[in-house]
Amino acid sequence: MNGWMGRIVMVDLGGHSQKEIPVDGETRRRFLGGRGLGTKLYSDLCPVPIDPFAAANALLFMTGPLTGTVMTSGRYEVVSRSPLTGTICDSSSGGSFGAALKGAGLDGLVVTGRAERPVYLYVHDGIVEVRDASAIWGLDTQKTQKAVQELTSAKASVACIGPAGENRVLFAAIMNDKDRAAGRGGMGAIMGAKNLKAIAALGGQATAIADADGYKAMAARLDRAVDKNPVTGKSLQVLGTSVLVNVINAHGMFPTRNFRGGVFNDAEGTSGEKIAESLLQRQSACYKCPIGCGRTTRTKSRNGEGPEYETVWAFGAHLGISDLTAITEANYACNELGLDTITMGSTIGCAMELHESGALKETMLWGDAARLAGWVEDTAYGRGFGAELALGSKRLAAKYGRPELAMQVKGMEIPAYDPRGAQGMALSYATSSRGGCHMRGYMIMPEILGHPVFLDRFVTAGKPEIVALIQDISAVVDSAVLCRFLQFAMGISTLSEMLRTVTGLDFGDEELLAIGRRIYTLERLYNNRAGFTRSDDTLPPRFFNEEFQTGSSRHRVVRLDEMLDGYYAVRGWDTQGSPTKATLAALGL
Amino acid sequence: MIHLDRETLVKMIDHTELSSHSGEKKIANLCSEARSFGFYTVCINGGYTRYASEKLQGSGVLVCAVVGFPLGAGTRSAKAYEAREAVANGAAEIDMVLNVGALRDGKLDAVRDDIRAVVEASGPALVKVILETCFLTDEEIVVGCELSVAAGAKFVKTSTGFGAFGAFPAHVRLMRQTVGPEIGVKASGGIRNFKDAWRLIQAGASRLGVSASVAIVEGLSLYKFAPAAWLEEEIPCHFCPSRFANLDKQPKAVYAYYKKKCLACPHLETFNKFYE
Repeated sequence: MNGWMGRIVMVDLGGHSQKEIPVDGETRRRFLGGRGLGTKLYSDLCPVPIDPFAAANALLFMTGPLTGTVMTSGRYEVVSRSPLTGTICDSSSGGSFGAALKGAGLDGLVVTGRAERPVYLYVHDGIVEVRDASAIWGLDTQKTQKAVQELTSAKASVACIGPAGENRVLFAAIMNDKDRAAGRGGMGAIMGAKNLKAIAALGGQATAIADADGYKAMAARLDRAVDKNPVTGKSLQVLGTSVLVNVINAHGMFPTRNFRGGVFNDAEGTSGEKIAESLLQRQSACYKCPIGCGRTTRTKSRNGEGPEYETVWAFGAHLGISDLTAITEANYACNELGLDTITMGSTIGCAMELHESGALKETMLWGDAARLAGWVEDTAYGRGFGAELALGSKRLAAKYGRPELAMQVKGMEIPAYDPRGAQGMALSYATSSRGGCHMRGYMIMPEILGHPVFLDRFVTAGKPEIVALIQDISAVVDSAVLCRFLQFAMGISTLSEMLRTVTGLDFGDEELLAIGRRIYTLERLYNNRAGFTRSDDTLPPRFFNEEFQTGSSRHRVVRLDEMLDGYYAVRGWDTQGSPTKATLAALGL
Repeated sequence: MIHLDRETLVKMIDHTELSSHSGEKKIANLCSEARSFGFYTVCINGGYTRYASEKLQGSGVLVCAVVGFPLGAGTRSAKAYEAREAVANGAAEIDMVLNVGALRDGKLDAVRDDIRAVVEASGPALVKVILETCFLTDEEIVVGCELSVAAGAKFVKTSTGFGAFGAFPAHVRLMRQTVGPEIGVKASGGIRNFKDAWRLIQAGASRLGVSASVAIVEGLSLYKFAPAAWLEEEIPCHFCPSRFANLDKQPKAVYAYYKKKCLACPHLETFNKFYE
């Protein structure tokens, strides 16, 4: 079989059994792999939304037809129901774990049940071994990965949880290949609930390619495109993702102090340029990636990976902190303990505003860099006020009677682009299938960075069509599975041609877009069943009622009401946000 | 609205690489892309004409060499020699830079003779005249177009890409109105994506000089899925030459000319309130 390995194994940790999940060719063609096939399988396995921590809940680790082939194809997707949001969720991570899992002979690994005691899985040569992890339970993610490699193979790629996942922090991450994170949505907490500490994958098998010459030509074309594109060929390489700090700040949409400002006066001091001249040791890259957006850094006392843009913001401007060392060390702590930096920082910011407003007695002060790493650690271990931070901002703000102070959508914290500065991004946040996430439909690309074309960020006309289109394309890329940064250098036609050369299946542009639409609609169906409706497709009231008085996004509020009905119409959903029968029939759902 | 398919678009593109620091590897990549996408020409510095011609042999892609680039202030004979040598090395098209200083001085005969010398030296090759619109007023752009046509050029072209700004629809529209339908208008400089290209084609451009050619063609493949939405208009300041007036980069009089137009424009208040 070209493109896929043809095997997905389901392991029941409670029942001590394994079986293969058969996937026919038509299903592969309709959902590809990764996020798409993962969502399809999850919806079949757990059609009725259940407690994400229930033993019966499934947790899927998925690769795609392009995994292990071209550049950036080491990624994998984790799919389940998010304990943070209650929505369907997939969380994506780089590194090489995806390539290793596929190289071990699997397109995907499905984990159900709950082990009686801690275990880890060792995947190699098409088999999955369940092994005792009692001795490594409690270790941080770095020590865990090292220990599991010692127990399996030094060449194994390891995905694992740290103390945060073990303690079921609702935004616990899965960490792999040292510091790469499947960060968003709390997938690490589900591993913890299953007593699953780690998965080691030892690759070796190559993905069969249908058209070797065509593939080689396409790979060369992609190489040239990545090199030529100023984002992938220059900015990300030299300055990492934090190149965005100055750009977004200049657009007046760099959220400051829990989204009460759009300009951070100390932005320059936390920018990619500053990191490059102070902390940077070297750039780091995922599997077969020529971009290398990762930053290996060193502070006076420690070294590690990061910070990238979202983290610089979450622990920086969002909290009124300009101490780059404190931001970086909080990032290291999140990596080691296994926490999503966006939700962590955003929740601390929410607590700071709660304290300032008088709703929260716990002393949480803007700009308090000295206590930052301590808050992170307390959260992972559920110590003191950390046990409340571990709930995420939505539950925290509700607990203290000020739900409007949580900057979240559907329970997931909004990242580092203020939606008042980009109407399309606002619509994308509101309609994201996993909550306040920039990755479902990265409208910053057209609205700020001018790719593939420049769209006026303050205009709402046309945005429903574009948001839906970019969400669909993103779903395809997540299902192929490749890094989203390639979208700067690669259009839908290139992706289509790449899939053809690898799988031998002729996906035209139209079919690929239909796949993306099918995936997005399937996610919506699940969320509808989980109780999400139109009323959840919204943003915190701050974005509708409060204008910035300074900066390039001043005098603006989000005009969601001008876009939401149009978006539903484009998607073929009814006025409450449920896919119509005609839409489902057209998509074969 | 103009219908534009992929075949038409690729044949409007001069796939361009004119950086001083680009070596053979970049030129080879340029040729490879041009061959693969079927662009009309590759537009390169004269020193790589023979190299590119060899790379593109049998592909149907032509070679376009620049002359007097990027300043246009050299001697007439030097420009003519440069053009003759480029054609001998395989160039089918010549993009020459007009003597901008002479035009602004009102030495119109000198400008026309300069162009005519290149046209004659180029023999069968088609000659395009780069006006470098960022350094000219509207009136000077009109004169530049008229002199180019009178001297035998088959195309007028907006920019080198090295000036204060590149191609804007307003300039292309003015150039098209001036030269009529029989003479080509090439837009170049700062054309980064499909929407930029589309606007310039709508304004009357029949050729595009771009480095981001692949991205523009890829953009067309996305455009078809939501055509109206991609082309939803924005505040015109974003593509107005007056908005881009820059005292550091333009002659004082030209800067003042554009600034005056900007200050009189009804969009200025909206721009300053919401966009600046």
